[in-house]
Amino acid sequence: MDSKFHPFVLPFSIGFALMLAVLTVRYVIWLRGLSSDNRKRIRSNFFTVNTWEALVEIFRESLVHLKIYKVNPMLGFMHMSLAFGWFLLIVGGKLETWYYTGDFANEMHYAIFFRYFEPVTSGFWMNGVMVFFMEFALLMVLTGLILALAKRIRKKLMGMQNTTRHSSGNRIALTFLWFIFPLRLFAESATAGQHGGGGFLTANLGAWLFGGDSAASWELPLWWAYSISLGLFFIALPFSRYLHIPTEMVLILLRRWGLESEKGFNPNKGLQAFEVHSCSSCGICLDACPAINIGQEAFQASYFVRGVRENSEVEAKATSCLSCGSCTAICPVGVDVEQLRLDKRSDIFTKARFSHSYLPGSMTLWRDTTEVVLFTGCMGRSNPKTTVAFKALLKEAGLSFVHVDEKDGVCCGRPMALAGALDQSLMMKEYNSNLINGQNGQVLVTSCPICFKYFTEEYNLNIPVMHHSQFLWELMKKGKIKRDSRDLKFAYHDPCELGRGSGCYEPPRSVLAQLGELLPVDKERDKALCCGNNLGSLSLPESDRRQITARTLAVLSANEPDYIVSSCPLCKQTLARQSSVEVKDLAEILLETKPLRVKVPSYSYVHQEAGR
Amino acid sequence: MTKQYFGFSVLEQRSVNLDSEMPAELESLYQKEPSLRACIACGNCAAVCSAGHFAEMQFYRLNVMARRGLLHEMVGKAAACMLCGRCQMSCPRGVNIRHAVLMMSQL
Ligand code: SF4
Ligand code: SF4
Ligand code: SF4
Ligand code: SF4
Repeated sequence: MDSKFHPFVLPFSIGFALMLAVLTVRYVIWLRGLSSDNRKRIRSNFFTVNTWEALVEIFRESLVHLKIYKVNPMLGFMHMSLAFGWFLLIVGGKLETWYYTGDFANEMHYAIFFRYFEPVTSGFWMNGVMVFFMEFALLMVLTGLILALAKRIRKKLMGMQNTTRHSSGNRIALTFLWFIFPLRLFAESATAGQHGGGGFLTANLGAWLFGGDSAASWELPLWWAYSISLGLFFIALPFSRYLHIPTEMVLILLRRWGLESEKGFNPNKGLQAFEVHSCSSCGICLDACPAINIGQEAFQASYFVRGVRENSEVEAKATSCLSCGSCTAICPVGVDVEQLRLDKRSDIFTKARFSHSYLPGSMTLWRDTTEVVLFTGCMGRSNPKTTVAFKALLKEAGLSFVHVDEKDGVCCGRPMALAGALDQSLMMKEYNSNLINGQNGQVLVTSCPICFKYFTEEYNLNIPVMHHSQFLWELMKKGKIKRDSRDLKFAYHDPCELGRGSGCYEPPRSVLAQLGELLPVDKERDKALCCGNNLGSLSLPESDRRQITARTLAVLSANEPDYIVSSCPLCKQTLARQSSVEVKDLAEILLETKPLRVKVPSYSYVHQEAGR
Repeated sequence: MTKQYFGFSVLEQRSVNLDSEMPAELESLYQKEPSLRACIACGNCAAVCSAGHFAEMQFYRLNVMARRGLLHEMVGKAAACMLCGRCQMSCPRGVNIRHAVLMMSQL
């Protein structure tokens, strides 16, 4: 096929070969870091339906970008036009050369630069279809490109408040990428203008721009430029964020094969490496972050993951973040940023020599059976109103209970785990497990979402665990607590640990809906904003936290509720100290809406609101 | 009778020397968590401390120890913290206590 060669294809061919070489080396290094369990998983799942499912997912997510589309249709359309359009061009090019030559195994550059080698193709009707198809795909990519440009200039056009600020290496790669398709359009048009052929795009553009004899000298330079921009982009790809394009596909495969993250912070080995390099810096997580543009450190997932990828210092990013889970929930690639952060934190805090060996034994040998084991947690102690109210409600429902951490209590251990000190959190787990298992109860109810999440996920208790909002809703459903609807308007605040953390959105809402009107909130359920005081953040200064709180309160009070209701002691106190609307716990509201003929027990609690 | 000085008297072990430089560790601790300087030793943090029920944990005293140069003792005591955050919730001065404890325990 000597006539099918021209030196201008070399930049492309060399760039592509280099990219393949670098990718292979990097992937082999990462794959070698897989744990032996993970290797076993690959072997046993390779020839199963999982592989097929992965291919379907790759089509849906890497090419059509359905998840991005769901979050932001315009942005999804942009990504889809670029990725799927390019994919169509590649596939179409292959099919076209195959059809034209009758030989499937023709050289790569022949398909890429087909129009240069074969300006005028003929064949029966299929030829017209092919030409139209290729031009359509090119138009699609160009549309995506125009949208991407528009996003650079005015992100609001694409429905985004914040976009990732790219580092210079990524900007260079981006420039090459942007040049590729316009150059292809012009190169093909120049050939069409000079030699005829082309489809609805290139034939018309070619006749208009490159029809005259003087334009003949344009043709080759344009093809050179197209090839060079392709080659440079391919060389830059493995060293820029565009590495996410191939990596995300591999990650999808590995996930479908059931691989699990290796222990510890190791972003250049194993599954973690694939995960870190699958982040496209799309910036969707930025708008979701309650702390965006607050404070000195831009610690949002997009920046954190990039820092990890580039081996730069991410300590402050890992410790400032609230661990609210918003970014992990919305990430279209499903990067487990939360786990990565925890791994990084344990890496940082191995030097913290915590020791909780002072904890006493907590074994209870035997006690009479009781229905409810109540655990209010550390923060609950600073929220006696909630505890008093919940106990009154239990009495109203005629249930017996024992409050296990009434006099003294040990933290559930989640804050320690959030700081990366897992071994220490295990001591607390043991203390509390012994304490709770010895109560001979039927259900453990906790009013703290942090404890709730940790109890359900990490503890192996001998009784089921419920959050008090779930329990109260059960009592209402069973008719043990009865209320009439009143003329009250509530805005409900989803605590991070209860909502995104534990998937409990409905029970508290169901309770409130019985008591009055539940107002819609602009960002709620899995999009809810953090109160600003999530224990996940270890280093965020108070002033930053207060700004986050103010932002969250503005969203919550937008529809002028009578009460802002939460079901987390930490959220409640945090919101209350800055709110002009009264903030109450679900249990308090439920108790206070009790019909008046029944006497409401008066609160007796130590004044503990010094923080206000 | 001890001799009466005019104006003030000095006991060597109680003297406060504003000219003396802070030990380097302390300086770096304050740099890592500047809000430590805001503590007025009101004692709220100790009153609510979860670890305080079981161990000798009074956050403001760690800070006092640090200022007095009792760094070793401070590091030992800081180890009891559970990072539960109750202290921070009740601190009137917005001291970033959990981070401070983390930094103290690593000195
Ligand atoms: S973490 Fe996810 S949402 Fe954030 S930039 Fe990366 S891919 Fe996008
Ligand atoms: S976990 Fe929450 S606070 Fe942290 S980066 Fe993600 S969205 Fe922002
Ligand atoms: S509550 Fe705050 S100001 Fe009061 S002693 Fe503790 S750290 Fe200092
Ligand atoms: S975070 Fe530590 S110092 Fe503060 S109240 Fe909890 S155990 Fe005590």
